[in-house]
Amino acid sequence: MKHGKNNRPHAKVVGFLRLCRSDVRRKFINMILLCGIPSESPIALVRERLEAAHLPYVMFSQRRFAEMDLEFEISGNQVRGFLRIGEATHRLEEFTGVYTRLMDDQHLPELQSEPPGSRSRRHARGLHDALLRWSEITPALVVNRATPMGSNFSKPFQAQMILRAGFRTPETLITNDPDLVRDFHHRHGRIIYKSMSGVRSIVQTFEEKDYDRLHHIRWCPTQFQAYVEGTNIRVHTLGAEVFATAIKTDATDYRYARKQIGDYAELEATCLDDDTAERCIQLARVLELPFAGIDLKVTPDGEVYCFEVNPSPAYSYYESNTGQSISHALARMLANPPN
Amino acid sequence: MWLVLCDPFDAAALWAYRGLSARGLNPLELISTEVLLRALTWEHRLGVDGIRLRISLAKNRTITHDSVRGVLNRLSFIDPQLLAPAPQAERNYATQEMTALFMSWLAALPCPVLNRPVAQGLSGSWRHPSEWNYLAAQAGLATHTYRQSASEQTSKGLYSGLTGAFGFTAHTVFVVRESFVHCRTAALPLSINDACLRLGALARTDLLGIQLSADDSWTFLSATPQPDLRAGGAGLLNALTFSLRDEARKEQ
Repeated sequence: MKHGKNNRPHAKVVGFLRLCRSDVRRKFINMILLCGIPSESPIALVRERLEAAHLPYVMFSQRRFAEMDLEFEISGNQVRGFLRIGEATHRLEEFTGVYTRLMDDQHLPELQSEPPGSRSRRHARGLHDALLRWSEITPALVVNRATPMGSNFSKPFQAQMILRAGFRTPETLITNDPDLVRDFHHRHGRIIYKSMSGVRSIVQTFEEKDYDRLHHIRWCPTQFQAYVEGTNIRVHTLGAEVFATAIKTDATDYRYARKQIGDYAELEATCLDDDTAERCIQLARVLELPFAGIDLKVTPDGEVYCFEVNPSPAYSYYESNTGQSISHALARMLANPPN
Repeated sequence: MWLVLCDPFDAAALWAYRGLSARGLNPLELISTEVLLRALTWEHRLGVDGIRLRISLAKNRTITHDSVRGVLNRLSFIDPQLLAPAPQAERNYATQEMTALFMSWLAALPCPVLNRPVAQGLSGSWRHPSEWNYLAAQAGLATHTYRQSASEQTSKGLYSGLTGAFGFTAHTVFVVRESFVHCRTAALPLSINDACLRLGALARTDLLGIQLSADDSWTFLSATPQPDLRAGGAGLLNALTFSLRDEARKEQ
């Protein structure tokens, strides 16, 4: 299902919310577990939607780690256990939908003054590790499991999967040889460089002045790509639902538009053609990501390039700028996980 | 050329290199992470002309995407210490970048690779013991109960098999390409043979080492995509040789 430029909640969403309220007493309602920082926008938005629909959920608030315990057991094919938060205890088997956006537990503000190896640090670590291990094997829908996210640790590795899904990818050269970069620059005109791993980097245009320091790549192969002209489109897929957002900017990296060109990027809801939408859905499926943020660029000639698939999309930025009901779709998915 | 890729000091890789070479996989090169990290030139391209690779190593050796006929891949990780004397922060960054590069170029090789990199590791799926336990149960193997809490992680007998690399307390079963099962220390019942094949398929790992208890229960103890190949002896070497050659022929 594609969601277009209409910023109002779609009829299906409103109907779904009415259904949930009326059915809550008649049907067994799936229990949802949210894991992360409650005030972080992606978590906060989906909480709002679940509360508006009176859908039950449990909040694994990382900052309350001291009040929590989690234990699970694998016996044959059965996975059982409990999550205790304060005085409340929840059976893990009751959770059918899990949404995780966890920060590094060792950087929680509550642990800032704790020395390495302290009891609190060990408890936080043990709790989060138990949660992670359980989330990797639970039969519940987990948005998203940690294992499939690993493809994002190597952009060229992921690019090979993107190519197999039928998308174009930018011409890419990874090298430690300055002469090869000069030739690549000469052939493609404008080129950019960025990290190949999961380490976040700001995409930069390679300029003439960069030749002076090009010899540094001898120490570590670096990724260069031919610049692709066109419109950036971020596509969020949730199962079979697709939300496309066009981003208008002259910056090389729209995420840092203000820093690069002194102006914010403009976001607008848009539509994809059926073929591209379907390819996005299939790509997310192949990558085993129930929720994916896919970065596309559509050239003036209509060619579609795919740069990356983000396994933990911060969708709230796009929703807050366009009104697209991504959080509603996420709440729907968590409340009604596909078989 | 054929390649055996390994971490420094991987004795099992050296053993396999000698055995595969003796079985006619020649020319066969044994190349460590250290040698790869000191490559003179890296050239890895993705684009309309497909995926290309050229790695120029010392002693006039070159690896290209079309010159490799098959790979036994035992690279597990890039040790940041191998990138000394760079400062810590730069070493960490370079480690992640090189790992990303290794994932890509190994995945891109058109020849047979045992094991290809996946999202979970450079040489096949590295999983937590809890995941292996769960998968083994799904494959139909008997398993111990695994328990983990915020304060402890226990599994009766889960790690006991690790001491049985040469069959003192456990049998090591090798699964190659979801079609070949080999155990040097015991004759496997058909049901266990089939369960091991299913585990290899569920794990999506072409070369898998599985440790089962050395009693009538054949209880699952552990699994790894990087088993000690020496436990498989000549039978395993024959299987690896056949698998690499057979897949190489199909690729042609």
